[in-house]
Amino acid sequence: MIEVRHLTKRFGAKVAVDDLSFEVQPGMVTGFLGPNGAGKTTTLRVMLGLARANKGTATINGTSYQQLRAPMREVGALLDAKSYHPGRKARNHLLALAQAGRIPRKRVDEVLEFVGLSEVANRKAGTFSLGMAQRLGIAAALLGDPGVLLFDEPVNGLDPEGILWARTLMQSLAAQGRTVFVSSHLMSEMALTASHVVVIGRGHLIADSSVEDLVKKSSGSVVRLRTPKDELLTPRLVAAGATVQANGDGALMVSGLEASAIGDIALAAGVPVHELAPQEASLEEAFMELTRDDVEFHAQQAGARP
Amino acid sequence: MRTLRSTPITLVVTAFIVIGLSALITLAVVSNPGHSGSDARRHPLTIIQSGWGLGLLAFEVLGVLVVTNEYSSGMISATLLATPKRLRVLLAKVLVFTLVVFVVAEVMSFANFFVGHAVVSAYPPFPNVALNGHNVLRAVIGQGLDAALVGLIGLAIGAILRHTAGAITASVAVLFVLPLVLMALPTSWEQPVEEYWPTEAGSQLEQLTRQPHALTAWWGTGDLALFVLVLLVLAGFALVKRDA
Repeated sequence: MIEVRHLTKRFGAKVAVDDLSFEVQPGMVTGFLGPNGAGKTTTLRVMLGLARANKGTATINGTSYQQLRAPMREVGALLDAKSYHPGRKARNHLLALAQAGRIPRKRVDEVLEFVGLSEVANRKAGTFSLGMAQRLGIAAALLGDPGVLLFDEPVNGLDPEGILWARTLMQSLAAQGRTVFVSSHLMSEMALTASHVVVIGRGHLIADSSVEDLVKKSSGSVVRLRTPKDELLTPRLVAAGATVQANGDGALMVSGLEASAIGDIALAAGVPVHELAPQEASLEEAFMELTRDDVEFHAQQAGARP
Repeated sequence: MRTLRSTPITLVVTAFIVIGLSALITLAVVSNPGHSGSDARRHPLTIIQSGWGLGLLAFEVLGVLVVTNEYSSGMISATLLATPKRLRVLLAKVLVFTLVVFVVAEVMSFANFFVGHAVVSAYPPFPNVALNGHNVLRAVIGQGLDAALVGLIGLAIGAILRHTAGAITASVAVLFVLPLVLMALPTSWEQPVEEYWPTEAGSQLEQLTRQPHALTAWWGTGDLALFVLVLLVLAGFALVKRDA
């Protein structure tokens, strides 16, 4: 289990992480979401003892990373994928790490096989594509067979097959009872991988809930309605307290009324209904909604001339 | 270090260049029939060891790279994840580096001596030097010790500055540039500073007799070792206190 308590990290005058507290439970994949520059990587680096917190603590299994007796056997981490010497062969890179972590040599070949890099094990890691580098990084994280795994943007640079592989891997690691904490700015990816999410923006906590709850909370109650008699039904819905918007493709988006109520009103008015579908916000939309005010770098509206 | 091809290549190439350069200079001096003036007053050992400065430079740069390579490649985060106790990382680097450089430098120093000795022997009129001569063995062994200490200057500066180019510049400044600048100072200032300047003091171990306005061989080595220790303490402090 990972516990973060009142964590604050400043770089000069800029506050990167601001009084952040959350827990990551074992047995499931927890997503760590936030727009670029939200402080995800900084938080992970503090957890791993690579950066020092100005205030607060981050503990793994009750102790700070630097105090762990056998860090590689307890925690596996993938930070920057390319954290190896480019002139070193992939296998030698892992051997050096295994030696530092007192991990038997044969484990190196096991993890290389597991991430699918056996055939290129004796190639210089500097010649690897980003996808291969990610796999090598994941192999390094798994070396010590640790119970806690931290991945920073693990699917960056992976092809669709690789993404599917990484997703399955993370879920199976969690199913084995491990703590799996995965940062990403790709909400759609997390919606498929994680069952719990911690969302941060500008260094502070925005949400800490299950994916299901997050989506439900952000969905509101928007119902998609299609009927040939718009002009008859719309005034009745408005009279019942709903807000109705034309969707452009002939459907109406009704908010403020449950789907069942809309169906009842339509029946009472004798209006045929061709489609009546409660809309669920995607995690993507939920995320945009949550972080709208906390995006660090606002781009110009798409399509505007630079 | 061991699994990088560049480390053994650097060491072997350095060895060949240093020994080759020393042999060439020795040959040039002893084969010059009119060896008069300043050449004649130079002790043959000094001539044989004339290429050594380049070796010191190479060991110092290697020392810098042992640390800065980790920062430029990003390997440092993997290293510190494997060994979060940072002083242990520095200590391990110091031990491995010192051992490797000391052994290689000793081999180089002896090889350098024997090649130079052979060249001088080929020109009988020129006075030669024997390994069992007064302080000769000390000078040859001392050369390797000096190289290891100078290499550690590079390692410590590398750990403090983290950037290859900056650290190489700074350590070369300590080794070569600042001693040259010292010469521009008035003698009354230059002599005491130069006497205690670590790399100058450390090189006294390579001398057969005590030089004027210089520390004795062992005091000089102690001076250099103290300087290295101070730098390493600073490096340890920097490593522990800063974010990686």
